[in-house]
Amino acid sequence: MMQFLFTLPFLSVLLGAFVLMLFSHKKSISLKSFNYISIFFLTIALIFEYLTLGAGSSYLFESIFSKLFILDDFATLFDMMFTLGAILTLLINSDYFKSRTYFTGEYFSLLLFSVFGMMMLSHAHELLTAFISLEIASLSVYALVGYHKNKKVSSEAMMKYMVLGSLTGAFFILGTAMIYGAVGSTTLENIALYVDNSKIEDMTLLVVGASFLMITILFKIGAVPFHSWVVDVYHGAPYPITMFMASTFKIAIFAIALRLYIVDFATINSFWRELLQAVTILTLIGGSLLAISQSLVKRMLAGSSIVHSGYLLIGLSSIGLGSDIAAPAVMFYLIAYFLSAVGSFGILSFIASQSKRQMSYDDFKGFASRRPYMALMMTIFMLSLAGFPSTIGFLGKFYIFTSAIESGQILLAGLGILTAFISVYYYFKLIAMMYFFESETGGKKTFPINASTIVIAMMALIVVWGGIGSSLFGYLPGADGFIDLAKQAITSLK
Amino acid sequence: MTNHILTSIIFLPLLIAMVLGVARASIKVIKVAAILSSLTILLLVIAVILAFDPNQGMQFTQNLAWIKNAGITYNIGLDALSLIILILIAILMPLIYIYMLKDNRKGYWYNMLLLQTGVTGALLSLDLILFYLFWETMLLPIFVMIGKYGNGLRQYNSMKILLMTVLGSMSMLFSILYMGYIYFEATGTWSFALSDLSSIDLSAKASIWLMAGFLLAFAIKIPLVGFHTWMAPAYGSAPTPAVIIMSAIMAKLGVYGIWRFGYGLFGANLHYYAPTIIILALIGLLYYAIRAITENNLRKMFAYSSGSHLSLIALGIFLTNIYAWGGSLYFIATHAIASAGMFMMIGLTYYRFKTVNISELGGIAQKAPLFTFFFAFFALSIAGLPGTGGFVAELLIIIGAFKENFIIGVFTATTMLSAMIYIFWMLQRVLFGEVTNENSEYSDLSLREIGMLLPLVLLLLITGIMPSLFIPYFEPQLLGALQ
Repeated sequence: MMQFLFTLPFLSVLLGAFVLMLFSHKKSISLKSFNYISIFFLTIALIFEYLTLGAGSSYLFESIFSKLFILDDFATLFDMMFTLGAILTLLINSDYFKSRTYFTGEYFSLLLFSVFGMMMLSHAHELLTAFISLEIASLSVYALVGYHKNKKVSSEAMMKYMVLGSLTGAFFILGTAMIYGAVGSTTLENIALYVDNSKIEDMTLLVVGASFLMITILFKIGAVPFHSWVVDVYHGAPYPITMFMASTFKIAIFAIALRLYIVDFATINSFWRELLQAVTILTLIGGSLLAISQSLVKRMLAGSSIVHSGYLLIGLSSIGLGSDIAAPAVMFYLIAYFLSAVGSFGILSFIASQSKRQMSYDDFKGFASRRPYMALMMTIFMLSLAGFPSTIGFLGKFYIFTSAIESGQILLAGLGILTAFISVYYYFKLIAMMYFFESETGGKKTFPINASTIVIAMMALIVVWGGIGSSLFGYLPGADGFIDLAKQAITSLK
Repeated sequence: MTNHILTSIIFLPLLIAMVLGVARASIKVIKVAAILSSLTILLLVIAVILAFDPNQGMQFTQNLAWIKNAGITYNIGLDALSLIILILIAILMPLIYIYMLKDNRKGYWYNMLLLQTGVTGALLSLDLILFYLFWETMLLPIFVMIGKYGNGLRQYNSMKILLMTVLGSMSMLFSILYMGYIYFEATGTWSFALSDLSSIDLSAKASIWLMAGFLLAFAIKIPLVGFHTWMAPAYGSAPTPAVIIMSAIMAKLGVYGIWRFGYGLFGANLHYYAPTIIILALIGLLYYAIRAITENNLRKMFAYSSGSHLSLIALGIFLTNIYAWGGSLYFIATHAIASAGMFMMIGLTYYRFKTVNISELGGIAQKAPLFTFFFAFFALSIAGLPGTGGFVAELLIIIGAFKENFIIGVFTATTMLSAMIYIFWMLQRVLFGEVTNENSEYSDLSLREIGMLLPLVLLLLITGIMPSLFIPYFEPQLLGALQ
């Protein structure tokens, strides 16, 4: 019975996806209702995920699925982020559909399927299951990226993403096959046993296989040799989808990457150490260069999301080098990045839902005088992304850099700080545009109080509170609470 | 209650700003609230002075767990050195508000409130991460004030000061994190408290790198020569209140940082960099003075002048004898007062003539005697006029320099000389000579303006004539530190 309770979030999302799919062609149901229906199913999932938190770790329906799915706090925490990310995407963009005729009911169904895939991915304890979940999530996202099918940029983005994504997906299968060849099993538990019990010379096949898995993961998070799609796809996709990809889908990849790495491969990291470090360095520098050179804010954020992948990779390679705080650091950074990315992309798509602008830096001129509150919140998110102290983003970087120093990767920590410095430029450029220039168009607009803006404002508050809030003020957990959560999640893995 | 007094001093302006912001107060309410907050803080600081015991080290300390997982604490306290700067902040803020009284832009006032919290917090924090937080956040109001309310190439210049300062802070952050890690390795717990980190034994090689991280941040903030490219443009573009804070408080915090965190963490090891800093400071003394002589824009001229004098203070900090240290501390206070007065005068000049270029000014003395008096007084006190506090301070540093090394002494003495050159020449061109602004109607100082300048004049005179009133406050600590 407990097991059934644990699977309720899955079932709720899946049921929602099917219901929405079945009714999606009905013209009599408005998009707004679809929106609320999907939020309803996601909220139920979120509530049950919250209740599941702290339930210990067990396999889900072991008699049916054997050891394919595991339930632990790690997975539950990720599930919560996925559902929350989807809910926020839907809430913030509830106006986006009004001015866009190309949106239909399937959009919601696809979004829910994608969330379902991600949730499976975070629970997957077996490589083929992981692959299938990844593809469920990816295929839905491919379709969503090209949703505006009459727009060339959008279709191009979808093709680019789908072709490259499927190609790298094949590497995952190849890697799984090789690992199966070496281990004779594809469950993470058996792989971990094999890794623990064999000598390092005998594991060549496994290492090659694992490297192929890594390629898929690096591609999906946009690490630099595999990054060419990121900016174009983020640009081509409709704003809500960009928001969903940047904040939620990216985190899902880290769910499987962290699990694979911590459970299985961290102990034999010496094979990848240099490789991982090289990729990290390239990602940090390449992402910074990309972000600096953009004139559209959306593309800048896309480029900067590559840099954030770089920070996460720093944390990942610190895990292998035996830093105790590295794993919670990565987890914390994911939470911090999730909050800031949801907020910043949320504001972008909120503005996009009101107007049809391209939103270059220049379009933000005088934004502060037109919409002072929105500008303030955007500033908070930019500060957090830049890692400015008193926001949660600073603590994220703080933990990542200390873990890098702890594991002896002084150079990476230094480079991370340097790219953080560079990022100050492109984030503050937006702040400068908003505050320092006169508005070219229109007068002051009132602050609309509706679901979208309230959610964004709450995000801004959490971002600040996560950076300075502390046990000083009793009952609110603040910065300490998030890292405790991260630690709890990581402990449940082992 | 004494435990919370510093916390109140730090956060009162922020709290007021938040309340005003949420209540969407009108500009009148904001003005009244800001002035009241600055006066309340002045009273609190007076209470602190009365309870202060010069023979004890850190006082009024408060230490609370903040982010427990990383060992970050909310740890604040105050000693003689921070008390000096705290008094300066407390005195200058009400005067700046009086200066701003006619300004009706809300953002301006909010930024000043935030700025006060930022600088006070940076001054009083004894935990390195807390310090870093305030050190960075005090930059934001300056960034906005230059970029939004400044003049000239304001957007470009604000970005420039932001990036250069952040570069320094980032290098400092690296050092802070690394020291935290060393402490963790030695003891098994994380801590970033100054008292904890100062207890660790660093290898000479490691401490050289770590010191470099800190010193870069402080050198940019002061700025020492070579790290100064943001200074003149930023001072030139910034509105007067921001310039006053930058010159009178923030630059001093750079020197303060060297003292508190340089000496506090590395002790005598810091002397590895003494030759470098002394040479940079000596070059700075002369270079900034020459730039000041050739500068036509009054704001930039006094930016360079400020750089020159701050180089002198930095020099004094690195000469380890009681004269130089005492002089430096004294100069921190007196220069802050003098430069605040001077930049106020420049602001008033701009208000009257819509220009601060020396070539476009002239003959003010004929029409506005009071204005001329105050202008000349502050300018001369910056130059080190005997009878003002600056003279005492410079003299002490020069004596200290001669005590250390004859050549350094000679070079140091040239500051007084070079300052005389640019100050007198500037006075001659601005105040005397032909009246160039025939058309512009201008009036002499109003009562409000005299009211905000007079306290500064009095302070300069008192510090100049009766230094023995103040020196006992910080002498015990300096003597203790020297041993």
